[in-house]
Formats: sequence, structure tokens, C-alpha cells
Amino acid sequence: MSATALALVVLGLPFAAFLLLALVPPLRRAGRTGGAVSILAMAGALVAAVVLRIRGQDGLATWAWIPADGGPMVTVGVWVDELSLWMLVLVTLVSLLVQIYSVAYLDTEPPPALGRYYAYQSLFSCSMLGLVLAPTFVQMFVFWELVGLCSYLLIGFWYDRPAAARAAVKAFWITKLGDVGFIAGIVMLWGATGTFDFANLFAMANAGTLPRDGLSTIMLLIYMGAVGKSAQFPLHVWLPDAMEGPTPVSALIHAATMVTAGVYLMVRVQPLFLLTPDVLTIIGWVGAFTALLAATMACVESDIKRVLAYSTVSQLGYMMAAAGAAAAAAGFFHLLTHGVFKALLFLAAGAVIHAVGTNDIFRMGGLFRVMPQTGIVFIVGTLALAGVWPLAGFFSKEAILAGVWEGQLTVPFLMLALTAFLTAFYMFRVVFTAFFGRPHPAGSHPPHDAPPLMAGPLWILTALTVLIGLRLAVGGAGGHHGPGWLAPFSLGLAAAGIALAWATYQREIVSAASLAATFRPIYVLAQRRYGLDALYAGLYRGFILGFSAVVGWVDRYLVDGVLNVLSAATYRAGDVLRGLQTGRPQDYVYGVAFGVLLLFVWMQFWLP
Amino acid sequence: MTVETVGFWAVAVVLLAASLAVVLTPNLFHAVLFLALALVATGLIFLLLDAAFLFGVQLLLYAGGVVTVLVFAIMLTERLVGERITQTSRFIVNGAIVSGAVFAGIVGFLVQGRVPAVRAAMGPDATPALGRALVGPFALSVELLGVLLVTVLVGALYFARSED
Amino acid sequence: MSLNAYLVLAALVFAIGLFGVLTRRNAVAILLGIELMLNAVNINLVAFARFHGDVVGLVFTLFTISITVVEIGLGLAIVIAIFRVRKTVEADHLTLLRG
Repeated sequence: MSATALALVVLGLPFAAFLLLALVPPLRRAGRTGGAVSILAMAGALVAAVVLRIRGQDGLATWAWIPADGGPMVTVGVWVDELSLWMLVLVTLVSLLVQIYSVAYLDTEPPPALGRYYAYQSLFSCSMLGLVLAPTFVQMFVFWELVGLCSYLLIGFWYDRPAAARAAVKAFWITKLGDVGFIAGIVMLWGATGTFDFANLFAMANAGTLPRDGLSTIMLLIYMGAVGKSAQFPLHVWLPDAMEGPTPVSALIHAATMVTAGVYLMVRVQPLFLLTPDVLTIIGWVGAFTALLAATMACVESDIKRVLAYSTVSQLGYMMAAAGAAAAAAGFFHLLTHGVFKALLFLAAGAVIHAVGTNDIFRMGGLFRVMPQTGIVFIVGTLALAGVWPLAGFFSKEAILAGVWEGQLTVPFLMLALTAFLTAFYMFRVVFTAFFGRPHPAGSHPPHDAPPLMAGPLWILTALTVLIGLRLAVGGAGGHHGPGWLAPFSLGLAAAGIALAWATYQREIVSAASLAATFRPIYVLAQRRYGLDALYAGLYRGFILGFSAVVGWVDRYLVDGVLNVLSAATYRAGDVLRGLQTGRPQDYVYGVAFGVLLLFVWMQFWLP
Repeated sequence: MTVETVGFWAVAVVLLAASLAVVLTPNLFHAVLFLALALVATGLIFLLLDAAFLFGVQLLLYAGGVVTVLVFAIMLTERLVGERITQTSRFIVNGAIVSGAVFAGIVGFLVQGRVPAVRAAMGPDATPALGRALVGPFALSVELLGVLLVTVLVGALYFARSED
Repeated sequence: MSLNAYLVLAALVFAIGLFGVLTRRNAVAILLGIELMLNAVNINLVAFARFHGDVVGLVFTLFTISITVVEIGLGLAIVIAIFRVRKTVEADHLTLLRG
């Protein structure tokens, strides 16, 4: 089987599962059976993806889609190369684990809802794989929108909760804001070059034949799509709200895969971005700023999932900064490792929430004693996220820092370093508060460790996190070594963060309140999310609602007014005309007579 | 002055006078009688046009049948009311103007039209030809006419039967 | 006499009948006006038939006469039926169809 055919199998299996679940209602209503179909399809896809990865062949197959004079205007196809191979493995792996995990996590859902969940999940996996394999901008955009749709559907999975419904709409709208720029950029790029094909575009970029006029604008617009999807400042506000969805969904879509689509896009079209250094600089600055901003917000958040969401935003900022520093490979590397350990963290957090029944870390405490397994995997994930040697996160983070340092972006480098410190701090804040410390009076049922279906994926991800790290520690982390002081520096940052968290939340040597008082302006601002949500809400009210008011006024008074006048006129005219219907036969005879006279006149003057 | 010309003018005068009387006389009963006169005059016009058979039909059906039915109808409706069988007209001016205009229109049309000035050559009596036409090409129409007559007879009976 | 003479005579009778229909109040009198108008048509038919030498005009006249008789019979039946219910044959009072 050729590489492209195998890639099509990877793409087709989840789609087939989705079709089955969508078109066969009994299967969907069966719930767990439907889930089993979806999981089997995903497992098949994973096997195919792994086989593809091991064989490591590249391949490109395209088919004409939109015909035009002189060859098709748009082609679709699959493009198997180093990048998409890694993404295929990551997406299928995390999807599979999340789907298995969901069986236990959503055990209280009614079967039809579970079937719906798995239909969405399958559609998402298929869309994400299609995005990854896309060889053209248009195909990428189509799947890009599809994953956005799935994100909307899955955030709003519990659609009877107003907060979830609102969050779904918010996520959809804000990402669409970026997508407008994306599609505009794609079309403008096509206008400038006449092709959507990555391969053609890269060839033009390498040959230097790509028109440079307006390329910065185009690339900035394309970057806008990534800003929306990967939750970069200022469009990051949707991601924390997206945590209203089920936790496995957060793990899959809003941590490991979909939100990284923006980074993937950056990496995928890196040859084009390299032509516009100014845009790259912007990307780097925005990425670093996003990382820092989200990290500060994570420090004051008490909802465990939101802490993870902000940390996701922060880490996405890391990846973007790497892309901006022209170190796309480092960003992609971090994408992969982050996908694994962030999924692990989310799933572990889900296990905690499942057991405790609350998201608030200050209402947990001493959980390590009652659920040691979950505690261990969570701590492993946290260490990886904090960047502690020899776990996966250390290497990728160091690669990014090295890339940014070498990219001469000194200020972003300092921001990222500070972020690394904060990351360690807020993650261990969660660990110390939730897993150690005083046990919180338990609710009706004491917390317990996760059931096997949930624990299994957790351990697999933990093993991967450790193994990747060990593999890299033994084999060397490729060519991304920065200056010699970098590794100790980043380790020191992580250690300092951990120490501060330990001192504050475990030993309580440093009081959290005095810390808050010391950094009062930032503390208050971060707690209010820097006013961005309020700003957007205000803008929304101002513009959208104002515009709606105008439209409503036009509809009510102009459109309706015209119709009312018309209907009133018709009514009046009818009133007048019914006077003609006197009911007296002779009046009708008068009518006939006048008609005859009219005929005479007509014949007299107009008949040829 | 041929016989026909003299006859035409005489009959025309009678016909118009009787017609005017029909629409103007206040007495409904008189109106019916004038209508009978007008119908007979029309029959005479048919005779002048060499349609003797139609003259007979006109006399029998109209002057005989219709007038009788009309008289009965008037007696049925007017006598029951207990009023004099007079009746009035209304909007005479309006009616005169409109009907005058229609007449003017018809005449204006006739003036422009090209009509044969003289009669076509025909046998002394058109009745045999008429008879052959009725049982020949128009046989089906005649049958349908019979059906119609029966239908109307039944319908009229239905309308006019007493409620008992 | 020329054909036009007959036609003008018929037109006159027709106009007079129309006048009757337009101005009379009594339903029976309106029927009388209609009779006059139909007669005018018959005159036309016979005159055309004679001057064109075509027997079809005569056949049509025969039909017209028959149908007129039918019409008058039915009309009078209706008038009598209306009279039974409404106790009047004044057309001005029979305005159930007014809009």
C-alpha cells in the first residue's frame, strides 16, 4: 500500500465511523456500542498512522476539485511528509485515548447523548486529520472550519447548560473572526500567485518568484486565522470558556490537537513566512506576550480546568514565539510533546473532577492519599509542563528558548523565561493545593481512583511523556542546543517556580495574600482577565447589538412600514372597489355596456 | 318603391314604436302586449327577408308561448302584492345616454364595414334548405337543444313548485 | 332595402332593449328588455343569412329563438321563486350579492 493510500485509510476510518453514527440512528442511540465503533475506527487509524510513521515514506496525491480553464483551480488530496506524519500519530493517538477515556468519564450520560458525542468525536478526528494532510490552502481551510464546527458542537455538548451554550457560541464567533482574515489571506495569495498548492507556493518561494508586493499583508491575514484558532492574544478569550465542554473534549480539542492547528499552519507554511521577517517578528512578540499574559492569569485562577486552559494558551504562545523566531521545528517539537502531556494533564484533571465533583482547587486537598495513581500521573504531567529534566517538556521548551534567543528576540526571550518560571509556579500551586495540603471535607461519597478505562489512557500518556523524555535525554535532542547556560537557566527557572509554590502553598512560609498584595496591580488585572473579556463584551454590545438595533429598526419601521402601507392601501382599495359590487343587476349591465363602448373606441382608433 | 321597401318602412315604424312602448309604458301588462306586437313585427321582418318558416316559429313560440308565460308571471307576482301593475323606471337619462352611445357605436361600426348591398340569389323559399341543415350538419345540436329544453322544463318546475 | 337598413333597425331595437334593461325596476320588465335585445340579434342573423345566401344564419336564429324561450321560462320561474321568498320583484331590492 502506498503512503497516500494508507493516509487515506487514516482519514477514512473516522469518517466512516462518523457516517455510521450519523446515518444509523439505532447505532447512535445505543450509546456505548456506537462508542465502540468509533473507538475501533480510531484504533485502526492509529495503527495505520503508526505504520506510516515507521515506514516514513513521503507521498503526495491530489485530485481535481474545482475545474477551470487550463487545469483545475483547486485540488484536494493528501500530503504525507515528516510534519503530517507526526501530526497523524499525535492526533490518532490522543483521539483514541480520549475516546476510550470518555467511555468511563461520560458513564452517566444517556445512551443517545453518548452516541452523539462519539459521532462528533469521529467527525472531529476526521476533520483534524484532513487538515493535517491538506496539500492546499483551500482544503486546509475547509477542514479548519470543520474542526471549528466540531469544537462548537463539543463545547456545547451539554447544550442545556446556558454557560456551555454561551461558551460554544463565543468560541465559534471569536475563531471565526480570525478565520475571516485567514480566508481573505488565502484568496489574496491566490490572486497574487494563482495557486493554492503548498508545493507550488514553496517552489515559488524558494525560486524567489513569489511576488513580494503586499505579501506582508497576506501573511498577516493568514496569521490571523492562526491567532483565532490557537488562542493568541487578543483572541485568546474563547479558550478558557471552552472548558465548559466535557473534560475529554478539552483534552483532545482544546489542548492537544485543534488549538495547535494554528501552530501547525505556521510550521506548514514556514517557507512563506520566512519571506516576511516583519510578520515573523510580530508573531514572535505576540506569541511571547500571549505566553506571559496567560501565565499570569493562570496564577490567579482557581478552576483547575481553567488553569490548564490558560497554561494551554501560554504554551501555544511559546510555540508561536518559536515560529516567529524562525525556529518552526522547535515549535512543532513542543507541539508534539505538549500535545501528549497536556492531554495527560487534562485527563488527569478530568479524573479528579470526576471523583470530587468540583472544579475548584481550593475545595480539593489531600487528594494524593485517596487517589495516588491520578496524583502520580498528574505530577508527571506537571513536571513535564514545568520543563523538568528529563521529561519531554524540558527538551522542547529548551529548544524554543534556544530558537528565540538565536532569533535575536531578546525581550520575547525574557518574557518566555518569566513565563517558564510562572508555569512551574502555577502548576505546582495546583498540585500542592489539590493533592497535598489539608483534606477538604469530602462530599457525600469519598473520592476514589479512576476506573481502569480512565486510568489506562492516563498511564499510557504518562509512559509516553517519560519515554520521549528519556529517549531524548539518552539520544540527544537534535540540533536545537542553545548556548550552554540555557539548560541550567531554564531548569533553575522551573525549580524557582516550584520552590515558590512549595513555600506558598505547602509550607505557607510565604503567605499567598502578601504575594497578592505585592503584585497587587497585576493580581487584580489578572483576576479580571485584563479586562479583555469585559472589553469584548462591551464591543459586542456596542457594535453587534448596536448594529442589530439599527437593522431591527430598519426592519420594523422601513421594511414593515412599507409592507404595512402596501397592505393598508390594498385594504382601502378593496374597500373602495367593493362599492362597485352593488348587487344590482343593472349596474353590471352598465359595466357590460361600457365595456362594449370601450371595444368600439379601441376598434375605432387603435385597430390596425 | 318596391313592395319590400314599403313593407320595411311600415314594419320598422311599428317595431320601433312597439319597442319604445315596451320600455316606457308604466303599465307592465301593457308592456307585455306591446312586446307581443314588437315580436310580431320582428316576425314580419323575417318574412320580408324570405324566412317564412322563422316567421311561423316566431309567432308560435314568442307571440304565442312567451307572451302567455309572461302574462301568467305578471299575474302571479303582481296580483299577490295587491298593488296596481304599474312600474316605474329610474335613471332614465343615464340609460338613454348609454344605450344611445352603444347604438352610435354600432352604427359607426356598420358605416365602416363592407356589407353586400344586394341579396344573394336564393330560391323562393329557404325552408327546405333549413330543414336539411337541421337534420344534416346540425342534427346533434338539435338533439342537444331537446335535452336543454327538457332540463329547463324540469328546472322551471323545481323553481316554481309550491312549497308543500 | 340594403342590408345596412336592416342592421340599423336591429341596432335601434337593441339600444331600446338595452335602455329598458338599464332603467326598469321590475324584474319581469327587465326580462322584456332582454327579449327585445335578443330579437334585434335575430333580425341581424336573418338579414345576414339572406344577404349572404347562407342557410346557417337561419339555423342559428332557430336555435336562438328556442334558447330565448328556454331562458325566459327559466327566468320567470326564478322570478316567481324569488317573489315567494322576498315578496317583491323589484330588482333594487334584490341586492344579496352586494359586496
